Amino acid sequence: MLTPSRSIALSLTIEAADVVKIFGDVHALDGLSFVVKSGEIFGLIGPNGAGKTTALRIISTLLKPTSGSVKVLGRDVVSQAAEIRRLISYLPEEAGAYKNLSGHEYLKFMAKFTIEDKKIVRETVEVASKISGLEKRLKDKVKTYSKGMKRRLLVARALMTKPRLALLDEPTSGLDVLHSVHVRGIIKQYVEQEGVTVLLSSHNMLEVEYLCSKVALINKGKIVAEGSPTELKKKAKASNLEEVFSKVVGFA
Amino acid sequence: MLRDLFNIIVKEVKELVRNPTLLLGMIIVPLVVFPLMGFAVQTSMEATEESMKNISIIIMDHDANGSISQIFKDFLENRSITVDEIKTANLDEAAVYAQESNATALIIIPQGFSYNITHDMTAEMNVYTVFRGGGITESASSSVIYAFIESFKRRLAPNPFIAHQESIIKGKNIPISPDVLFGLVMSQSIGMPIGIMMLLMFAMQLAATSVASEKEEKTLETLLTLPINRFTILAGKLTGSILVAVVGAIVYMLGFNYYMNSFTSALPTEIGVDLATIGLAPTPISYLLLGASLFVSLISGLALTVSISIFAEDVKGAQALVGPLSMLLIFPMIFMMFTDIYALPFPLMIVLLAIPFTHPMIASKVAFTGDYLTAVIGIIYVSIFTVAVLYVAAKLFGTEKILTAKLRFKGLRRRKRKTAE
Repeated sequence: MLTPSRSIALSLTIEAADVVKIFGDVHALDGLSFVVKSGEIFGLIGPNGAGKTTALRIISTLLKPTSGSVKVLGRDVVSQAAEIRRLISYLPEEAGAYKNLSGHEYLKFMAKFTIEDKKIVRETVEVASKISGLEKRLKDKVKTYSKGMKRRLLVARALMTKPRLALLDEPTSGLDVLHSVHVRGIIKQYVEQEGVTVLLSSHNMLEVEYLCSKVALINKGKIVAEGSPTELKKKAKASNLEEVFSKVVGFA
Repeated sequence: MLRDLFNIIVKEVKELVRNPTLLLGMIIVPLVVFPLMGFAVQTSMEATEESMKNISIIIMDHDANGSISQIFKDFLENRSITVDEIKTANLDEAAVYAQESNATALIIIPQGFSYNITHDMTAEMNVYTVFRGGGITESASSSVIYAFIESFKRRLAPNPFIAHQESIIKGKNIPISPDVLFGLVMSQSIGMPIGIMMLLMFAMQLAATSVASEKEEKTLETLLTLPINRFTILAGKLTGSILVAVVGAIVYMLGFNYYMNSFTSALPTEIGVDLATIGLAPTPISYLLLGASLFVSLISGLALTVSISIFAEDVKGAQALVGPLSMLLIFPMIFMMFTDIYALPFPLMIVLLAIPFTHPMIASKVAFTGDYLTAVIGIIYVSIFTVAVLYVAAKLFGTEKILTAKLRFKGLRRRKRKTAE
């Protein structure tokens, strides 16, 4: 049986406490703290250079924090990085795939790192084929794909293995309206049906408002506002998240 | 771990093999360029031999009824040279005629030529070689005419002595003129370093592009968040490149073999000497040593390139960073083309020997030098160098430097700001 504190820890997917990341003389993160509960879609929004990508890279174990601590599903990103990598899936912003592989080969290549059973690998790739909507085009080489097709392939790759935590940096960037709507639907479906927790960053406030149950506004490496979209709008006396963003960051 | 490694290797090989530039550089160059080079050598040598049979000269004979000039003409004709006599006294006219009539040379025999010779006085003769393009055929035909003139002179007044030219190779007397051997060795000692340099440069550019495109496309970033040991990623990447490079090296050796054979078969048959028996054709051991040396140098080049490309932001940056490495290839190539490394001043020799890419070039000469030990020491040295570079590459792969290191030549501050986002 779980003790009360252990059960609280388990219901939290991310716990970031006073995270600082310094590159040379630039403080990319300057005391960032937030928690993401299991099963929610958490949005990180902020201007360019605010530190969103750095935060995602630390949570995904790519970078080490200069100070502070980050825990993912109760595991420390520095000392238990290998364990965390088994539980998460990270989609970098503007990422690509291997140009000379077919979409199908790419998905299979990525699936094999987390799944051992060949049959399950095949099924996972089938699932990804449906998520991406690429189906027959998956036989073609990635270099023949449009930007949107590539993004759909990568989103499918990030979600197909049903990770405990999906870190999505601008998941719909480069997608047209129809495909953006499709991808958002898939993200919601994975959270509701598969128990995936999502931390995403986006510049599309409409998307954030539609998807996220909780939003943190980050500026100069710190959280400057946090809450549900409704709470944030109420607090800032704004009609939408874009207005909140402008008022809080200071361009209004 | 082995499963992951295999997965990465398969992906690397697929990516590399499907890269059209690879096909061009690694397969087409050795399998098309080498045979073409060999074919060119063979054809031009055969053409030279053929043209020897059809040498024609124009003679302007002012020594009317001279007995010696007549003997001279008969002498040439008996040696299958077509002699075409013209009756003009004008040199310009004769020159135009010679140029147009495809003759090798125009010979003017002056008045009193025979008289002078028969009266123990120095006689003169003007030989004008017709210059058309300066190719081997022309120079060879012209040499043949001079050789016949020399031979005719000896008939009239025998030389006090004749020096027969032969060679000594690896302590053995070989009845071949050194000129023939120098020609043979020269054409190879120039060709091989160029070929080796091309192969290494190509493989290194390939590896640089492979690592940098992973960074540019952010596929590396994705790969690093997967549950794979980072050393496995590096090992998989290198093994994939090595597998392709090995195929490249084998294809290369096939091309080289063809190139070598074209020399062997192009040697005048009347020499009647088997190059293998005199130790000038590569033996299986020299092939093996060259292959091994090429292989370890390829790995060292690839490891070096991977370690350096980690610091590049994109493919262009990687190529710019790896560019200076090509100096390490060109520098030994130039020296190896024109001289024996041990003939160089000591400090320069040490610098060249420290460059790993010098060693396959040395190994390519083993067939001629028979110095197997140097080739083996070279292979050992390059292997140690490779292990050291691999160690550094592995260290770099294990840190976040692989993502944050962004070498730029200017705008350091801008770089830092960009890193923050």
